[in-house]
Amino acid sequence: MASKSASAGKEKLIDGEEEVLQAVILADSFNKRFRPLTTQKPRCLLPICNAPLLDWTFESLALAGVQEVFVICRSHAELVKEAIKESKWSKPGSGMKIVPIMTAKETFSPGDAMRDIYTRGLVTSDFVLVMGDLVSNIRIDEVVRVHKERRKTNNNAIMTMVVKETGARHRTRPRGESSVFVLDPETSECLHYEHVQGYPRTKVVNIPREILEAHPEVDIRNDLLDCSIDVCSVEVPSLFQDNFDYLDIRRDFVHGILTSDILLKNIYCYIAEEGYAARVQDTHSYDSISKDILSRWTFPLVPDDNHPGGHIYEHTRGNRYIAKDNTVVLARTCNIGTNTLIGSSTKVSENVTLIASVIGQNCTIGASSTINNSYVFEDTVIGANCTVEKSIIGAGVQIKDGSHVQKGSLIADGVIIGPNARLEPFERLSTRRKEADIESDDDDDSDVDEVEANQDSVDKTTLGPDTNAIVWPRGPPDEEDDEEGPENYRNQRFMRLGDNASDLDVSDEDEDSSSEEETSTEDEDDFHDRESLSELSDVSIHVPAISGMMADDEFRTEVTQSLERAFAEGHSVDNAAVELKTLRMASNVPLTRVKEAVVTAIVEKITLVDGDAATQRKEISSVIGRWGELINKIGGVDPVETVSILQAHCAASPRMPLFGQILAALYQEDIVEEDDIRLWHALPDSKGQDRKEGVETENFQKCWMIGSHMIQQFDAQESETESEESSEEEAEPPRKTGAPSVNPKSKDTEGIDGGESESPSEGVSASETSSTHPSTNTSEDEDDSEATDE
Amino acid sequence: MIEEQYYDSDLHKASPPSSTSCYLQSTQSVLDLATTSNNKMVAEPRSAITTHRSVEVLASKLRRRQIVGSRATALETLLVLRQVISKARFSNLEQLVAIIRDAGRRLVDAQPKEHSVGNTVRKVLHHIREEVHAATRGNEPAKPTSFSISKFVLQGQPRKQVVLQKSEVKGTLRENDPDDPDSFARGLKPVLMEAIQDVLDELETVYDNISKNAKDHIHSDEIVLTLGVSKTVEQFLKSAAHVRNYSVIVAETAPSYDGRQMAESLSSFGISTFLVPDSSIFALMSRVNKVILGAHVILANGGMFAISGSLMAATAARAHSTPVVVCAGQFKVTPLWNLYHEYGALDFGNPSDVLGFENGDLVDKVDVVNPYYDYVQPELIVAYITNDGDHPPSSIYRLLKETYDDEDNDL
Repeated sequence: MASKSASAGKEKLIDGEEEVLQAVILADSFNKRFRPLTTQKPRCLLPICNAPLLDWTFESLALAGVQEVFVICRSHAELVKEAIKESKWSKPGSGMKIVPIMTAKETFSPGDAMRDIYTRGLVTSDFVLVMGDLVSNIRIDEVVRVHKERRKTNNNAIMTMVVKETGARHRTRPRGESSVFVLDPETSECLHYEHVQGYPRTKVVNIPREILEAHPEVDIRNDLLDCSIDVCSVEVPSLFQDNFDYLDIRRDFVHGILTSDILLKNIYCYIAEEGYAARVQDTHSYDSISKDILSRWTFPLVPDDNHPGGHIYEHTRGNRYIAKDNTVVLARTCNIGTNTLIGSSTKVSENVTLIASVIGQNCTIGASSTINNSYVFEDTVIGANCTVEKSIIGAGVQIKDGSHVQKGSLIADGVIIGPNARLEPFERLSTRRKEADIESDDDDDSDVDEVEANQDSVDKTTLGPDTNAIVWPRGPPDEEDDEEGPENYRNQRFMRLGDNASDLDVSDEDEDSSSEEETSTEDEDDFHDRESLSELSDVSIHVPAISGMMADDEFRTEVTQSLERAFAEGHSVDNAAVELKTLRMASNVPLTRVKEAVVTAIVEKITLVDGDAATQRKEISSVIGRWGELINKIGGVDPVETVSILQAHCAASPRMPLFGQILAALYQEDIVEEDDIRLWHALPDSKGQDRKEGVETENFQKCWMIGSHMIQQFDAQESETESEESSEEEAEPPRKTGAPSVNPKSKDTEGIDGGESESPSEGVSASETSSTHPSTNTSEDEDDSEATDE
Repeated sequence: MIEEQYYDSDLHKASPPSSTSCYLQSTQSVLDLATTSNNKMVAEPRSAITTHRSVEVLASKLRRRQIVGSRATALETLLVLRQVISKARFSNLEQLVAIIRDAGRRLVDAQPKEHSVGNTVRKVLHHIREEVHAATRGNEPAKPTSFSISKFVLQGQPRKQVVLQKSEVKGTLRENDPDDPDSFARGLKPVLMEAIQDVLDELETVYDNISKNAKDHIHSDEIVLTLGVSKTVEQFLKSAAHVRNYSVIVAETAPSYDGRQMAESLSSFGISTFLVPDSSIFALMSRVNKVILGAHVILANGGMFAISGSLMAATAARAHSTPVVVCAGQFKVTPLWNLYHEYGALDFGNPSDVLGFENGDLVDKVDVVNPYYDYVQPELIVAYITNDGDHPPSSIYRLLKETYDDEDNDL
């Protein structure tokens, strides 16, 4: 009923002028930072300040007037679906239509999810992309407005990222992974994006030279908090589809788009002046965002005002929030510290001290216990004389009398520990899964299995006699993890609740032997950086020299092979061009290289025909007619360069005599124009000056001579054309190329041939006799086209 | 804005099977319902849901603070109540009152800090009762509304007598008519719409009525001090400026710095205006002839909530025996009086106005308290200027009795 009426309302809206504002929530974290809390429910259903994270996200979107939300769920998708169905958002009047989308278990990254969105064709217009763990009060509708405004003038502005200014050391700013944004201060276009990792620490950021050339002023900012709110246009999912290797939205997509010189898309930043937005991306940010909510940075999304869970709290002095329904029992002697939230029906006994903590609903806290900077979910019982410090305690946990939970511990739902348990810092506990769960759970929880299997070897005496807990591995993993990404163990430490990772910072300064390798690479990086800055080389391509050479050779053979294949199998020009582009991206070589290779391949494709000049001519125009176009399709049209390359190649090849004819054929095909030939001719390099003496140079100069003749012909032609233009136009039947310029062209060919005859080269003299009439030339063209069609 | 559309579209959808269309022929209702079909079985749950929805939409807007400001919320509330009443099905007064109260309670719960919502609901209930009694009792002389100390005891339950008289129904309208249960509603709706229109008119003319007597309060060559930005105060000062030549000192009113906006508006109107920092209020007070403040809510005890800084200004005025006058619409008078016990009633806002989020290091170490309102005690206020005349704080209770029914004090 609800969804039906909502959709009816939506249809009505579509009929109107107003477009429906769509949002996509990626309700999966794609990482395991909250383990073991997330073994039984997804992260987006973990409560923060007693309301599920997903509700906070919905509330943020509702504030922006989003009407249609797609929730992409992967792990525990059924639970998410159920939660959405039961939440207030499914009721009529919520103004939002929420569609849960169950994506395949094989979706391992945000990139996969985006490809799924593309395949399903969910979005129809500009949409808001957020994560399922967002807490925000930013006016996203304002960002959308700015984005749409920009799209009107610049169709390539595909994305607007919302960032928030923080200090370098803000508690909400993730230390494990942050980012450097290079912005144009005037347009706030994001010119470059670089991911910054806590460990191994990113020390160097490379900024492409072109950016500094193109923009007189740039801001390089390391103080921006990435809010993970992106306003995307429709083509963003399709870009993910095209670039199947994009995994992360920031590290791969944004970085990839900005460094790509073929996509030519722009990404902008929106620096939010007002409002708050942050992602609960790890336990450390869980802590800081809880504190931000309690100290009202998210106003009006605060417990006493617009609590997403619909609870009502009373706000008292010192940001203490107590549930307002008169069900909370606070003992006379208990001590409630500042920045504390206590859910309804919770009992706090005598002499309890609560400091900066969040206590869920229906909890019981025994006498003389102390809870410090911790988060306790609902239905948990904490016994007498316990201490809990900087930890997250799941729902339905029982911590029996006299237990101590030290900082950084994560205790999953339903665990029982104690009495007198002593937990180590950063202990992670969960219960054994039920048999039924394991069977139904087709999720590849290999690590959970592993943990369960390894329990025999773990000493559990400190957990107390009544415990049902299984212990997750403590400390760093045994084998040194070679994971490069931000999920490595040491980097994870920056994301842990209660871990200040101070020792990591220290070890970073004086590198010990284990990380020596890394120091050297860093130094190398530094070296290259300086080198590339001092040299006039292409800074954006930051490849160590040797590997560059390797790639070059490899690339040449690859191109030749792929072209041979294309020639042999008769690919279309477009397909061949795409293949070459991909090759170029893969081996990271400049465009000129590709062009050289292509020109070479095409020239070599022309078979030498001895004696018969007409056949030779036909052969040339057939090859050029079929493949000439490819030269301009591989990216970047620079005919002058094409001619230079052709010259250079012919000079060193047995096909030298064909230069004139090939050039003429290229001209015929509109691949080079008259002006281009003139420009090429005027280049000092083309004359072959400053070249070493030898056969090649001689040939080189011969080529130039041929060019001179051609230009002479052009000049002669011009005056001729002017006088004859009108009559010629009438006389000529409509040609394939269909332009009046065709006419002089064919004559050029004639003239050039004649010109070539003057040159002493014997090869050229072979073509001398083959001066063709315009009409024959045309018929040949037609023959060629037929041949290609076959 | 967007939700508004939802809401409208929903109304249109729900309209065809509604049984309310018959009343609307005689009323100038906002709803232009074309088709009529008297399917009552369907209509009942439908209308319940739509009522629920329109209320719900406003409730979520209030909760999200998408509508702020006493007058704006009062207007919105009134429009929603009009929808609710026009759709409501009832056969006696109690049912109608229950429906309106239910909607009102939802709205008040959604945003307990916007008191004008509750006040509007109370006022509408009061008007409805009056109209119903007038309609059912025909030409019976209106109850004298004059108050005196001697009648004080009786005034405790002014409506009790009326309730007793309800059984002897006269006139054309009959409650609980077994033959035609809708007849009561049908007959009453035009009257109810008129009652709501009265409240609406009052809200729309509130500024004019308040500033009507401005020239009696502000004299030539006086220096007036004000705080923050208040449409009421602005109109009041501008109206006085037509006949008097005087100066205004506007305090900046940190952390919102609304005073700047106020100063700009006043000076562009041609009033000689000084913008001063909040810290100099006390120093300047000796030169000030009158402090004119706006109010967020006026409590039953004569105290009020006003923008933070008002208490400081009022206390400084007391030290210099400068009169403090408050301009406020009558819809801000609320029957609650114990709000100042509630810490949260001061409406603590976002710390970012005081301490920028970019001051990363400080955020972790400093607790910022940013109350939006101050509670100003009745002792510090000389008079309230309302659209219902001028009142000392001590007689606010009387204004309350006249405006609202006692039984509605607790919705």
